[in-house]
Amino acid sequence: MSNNGRRSFLKGIGLSSLALSVGGYSAVATNTKESQKKYAMIFDQNKCVGCTDCEIACKKVNLVPKDQFRMLIQDKTNPKTPRERRMVRVSCQQCEDAPCVNVCPSQACHRDSLTNIVTMNADDCISCKYCVVACPYDVRFINEETHAAENCNFCVDTNLKDGKNPGCVEACKYEALVFGDLNDKKSKINRILNIKDSLRMKPEFGTKPSLRYIPAVRLGV
Amino acid sequence: MNDAISFTVGFSHGVEWGWPIAVYLLLAGISGGAMIISIVTRHFKQEVENSALTKAGSLVGFATIVFGMVFLVGDLEKPLYFWKILINYNFKSVMSIGVIAISFYIPLTAVMFFYAFEKEILKYFGFLSFLVGILRPLRPYVEFITLWFAIAICAYTGFLISVLIRFPLLNTALLPALFVVSGLSAGNAASGIIATKFFKEDLHSFDMKILHRVEWPIMIAEVLLIVMLAVSLLIGNEYQKEVFQAFTSSQFSLLFWGGVVGLSFIVPIVFNLLLGRFTSKSAGIYYMTAISVICGVLSLRMFLLYAGQTFGA
Repeated sequence: MSNNGRRSFLKGIGLSSLALSVGGYSAVATNTKESQKKYAMIFDQNKCVGCTDCEIACKKVNLVPKDQFRMLIQDKTNPKTPRERRMVRVSCQQCEDAPCVNVCPSQACHRDSLTNIVTMNADDCISCKYCVVACPYDVRFINEETHAAENCNFCVDTNLKDGKNPGCVEACKYEALVFGDLNDKKSKINRILNIKDSLRMKPEFGTKPSLRYIPAVRLGV
Repeated sequence: MNDAISFTVGFSHGVEWGWPIAVYLLLAGISGGAMIISIVTRHFKQEVENSALTKAGSLVGFATIVFGMVFLVGDLEKPLYFWKILINYNFKSVMSIGVIAISFYIPLTAVMFFYAFEKEILKYFGFLSFLVGILRPLRPYVEFITLWFAIAICAYTGFLISVLIRFPLLNTALLPALFVVSGLSAGNAASGIIATKFFKEDLHSFDMKILHRVEWPIMIAEVLLIVMLAVSLLIGNEYQKEVFQAFTSSQFSLLFWGGVVGLSFIVPIVFNLLLGRFTSKSAGIYYMTAISVICGVLSLRMFLLYAGQTFGA
């Protein structure tokens, strides 16, 4: 093969890859503009130490009554292996097919039109508790002060509205919580989900939660 | 999935739908059952005059559903906002569908009440006589529509709680059927009591014989459905097997065996079937068993709600 041939071949590769990447980028850009947001969160059990800073931040941001929770961290450490600490986030799973939205008779529990996040219109809630009993994860409650049902809504009406991450994610010092848009292919959450095994809670209910869990790996295997 | 990643705490307080809902489910069942029985017997007898059973069925059907609303609205934590449910409908929600059905059913039962007590009402409220001319030709149609709505009301109370996927005892297709059947049983007992006590129906009249005749097939269907429900849990998956202990070894098993089995099956079988020869003349025994059956149906709803919400995934 002549020298000239190789040069033109390399040039061709360079040009075509440039064209492909520009083309691909523009395709992605138009996609995100047209399609809806699809927010999701990852809880990484390997990183959570159980400091509960997230719980405190959540209450502060969302004004949750003192003895109630929108999210909390449950200590699931096996007493036989106390050094293998296992924490787990308890909160609304933000189902894609949410039973609470389906059962709400007054459309108070609804999906936010801009962000697709399951959230609550407290004024329309008649507090019938249908959503509370319909939730397969038992993570809804009636707020003692507003007397309306409530769930973790990824801070859609507080932090997210101001362009910030949800309170718990901001407060986490150990990056155990990652929040982002699944429709944004380059988001951090997508990069993590691409390389790590994650799971959904109780997948047998078929509600397709947006909250993903990365379970802790066993030490010393 | 490993145990360490699945959380075991929740934010609700266990049984969120308590006894007021159970009472409402009973009253809706009685209303639907009484309506069905009075309309069907009236149709097959080709009745012209309003019999005591028709009067009793219409009165019970109307009064219990209205009284039931008190419990339904009273159980809301924001009862004064209940009107929101009437302006925001969600057609995926069984509760919304039920509200639509009820808002047709209550006026229908009111009209049925008017038909049954036409003479009595006109005696005191003569100005309503213009209604008679409008309503009387419609009676067969109103009865036909009311019959279907009565079945729908009984069934919807079952669907209402059978969509709760967390609770295997409730999340079953048998529940609406069980609620229709037990509603018939309670409605039968209630209209029997009212017909004999307040409308002077003879305890051994033709109409009362009809009520006694249908009692047994209804009871057999009820027993079958409850046995099927229990067996489906016993042979089910991990969650369902755990729920089966609700029948055998939980704080609710007394409610089941004493209330459901004892009051709605054993008492009528012992006093009406086995001792029938000695007790059939006694009005007291009749009222006692009828009330016992109604209490049994209430126990069934209490058991399903409380045990159902206690044992879940």
